[in-house]
Amino acid sequence: MKKFRLTPLFFRRVHKWVALILGLQFLLWALSGSVMALLDKDKVGGHGGGMSHAHPLPAGDYAMLAKLPNGEPVHGLVLRDLGARPVFEIHSPKGVELIDATSGEHIRVDQDMAREIASMMNEAPIRSVSVLSKPNLEARDFKGAMWRVDFADDENSSAYVSLDTARFLVMRGDTWRTWDFFWMLHNMDYVNRKSFNHPLIIFVAFGALWLSGTGFYLLFKSFSRADFRWLRRRRKPVVVTRSAG
Amino acid sequence: MAIRWSLLVRRTHKWLALAVGVQALLWTLTGMYMVAVHIDIIHGDNLVRALAEKPFDLSRLAEPSQVVAAAPGASEVRLQRYFGAPVWRAETPGGPYLFDAATARPLPKPNEAHIRALARQIYTGGGQIASVRLLTEAPQEMQSRKPPYWQVEFEGWNRPTLYLSPATGELISRRHALWRVFDFAWMLHIMDYDERTDVNNPLLRIATWSTFAMAAMGAWLLIWSFPRRKRKKA
Repeated sequence: MKKFRLTPLFFRRVHKWVALILGLQFLLWALSGSVMALLDKDKVGGHGGGMSHAHPLPAGDYAMLAKLPNGEPVHGLVLRDLGARPVFEIHSPKGVELIDATSGEHIRVDQDMAREIASMMNEAPIRSVSVLSKPNLEARDFKGAMWRVDFADDENSSAYVSLDTARFLVMRGDTWRTWDFFWMLHNMDYVNRKSFNHPLIIFVAFGALWLSGTGFYLLFKSFSRADFRWLRRRRKPVVVTRSAG
Repeated sequence: MAIRWSLLVRRTHKWLALAVGVQALLWTLTGMYMVAVHIDIIHGDNLVRALAEKPFDLSRLAEPSQVVAAAPGASEVRLQRYFGAPVWRAETPGGPYLFDAATARPLPKPNEAHIRALARQIYTGGGQIASVRLLTEAPQEMQSRKPPYWQVEFEGWNRPTLYLSPATGELISRRHALWRVFDFAWMLHIMDYDERTDVNNPLLRIATWSTFAMAAMGAWLLIWSFPRRKRKKA
């Protein structure tokens, strides 16, 4: 290598060396992409679209606004249903308070309520219930304290219910857990599994661009007329196109 | 014996690469774009203003029970602001409706002038409004949302576009050039050229596993590619 020339040999060397350094990640991208394409997206779930059932609010008696606790400035107020009963959700700088809209009494989101709400989403028997002071990896898209309700079904489903608002947050099952492991391999955020915009992945993606770019170029150098003779023997002249589907 | 294996693997690597080469190149190109441009920018978080949280004075409001009575079937009634004034927003099977929070009387739907004013209020950029249209058919970039909605386009290199609800004037979605490129890249990445959402389509499954095989064989070839420095060109 006395003189630097852009020969096929040079590109072959780039291809080899980039592959040596970043090839493992390229392989992992191909593998995790393959697995994610294989896992049924409906079983993975968790993407877009709330699954909550909306019941019409009963017309009738509600606690007067004046009866609501008024110690804190109110930044938001929502009247909604919780199971069958209407509730007020009061948002203040201190957090969210849940009030029975008929009696005006404070509601504590206890274990029984978490079970009841989770059971609206899954009919399987409940295996265990636990409380989380902050979201775990499975419920990372949400904030605050929450109940985790584990079901005894094939998917080992876990429902997450907000401790503040009693809203159903998300359901996670084993298919999602498998998907999430491969998603982690894909996005290379091994701690939070969430970001795909960090310096490591940008660096490796840039390298992979060289791997695929040189590989693509080498396709033109690696095939000769002889490679396609088997096609000609069978039919009249055929133009071979590179198809990626 | 070992040499024969390497030849077979090399041939297969080559032929698989011929089949998936364009797609592998597209995956790295689109992947590069998606990791390089931060997802918050793609979502257009910088295009819209976060509303300042001003406390509501509950003593001046009509009772929400009046709103429930006026909006049959309402599943949720929410206190929010409309041009700075408090309003009750009722979610009903027929869509959302706004009510004056002080009188519980229904508010008329926003007209084009209102939509312009609301869009200006939300948008953080300095560009002028280029066009305002009430769409009854979903454009490609809003396929996940059901029309109708107001489409407000702003001037600027990235053509920022806000979509507002015709019933309440609320922001439904925002789009801009980088989002559109991302969506196109995503389409190429998951190989669903129609809906751009099906990550389980057979074409993708075949292409991904073929690429995995191609890459695995390439990895194996590395073993032979380094010890002997001088090789004839294939």
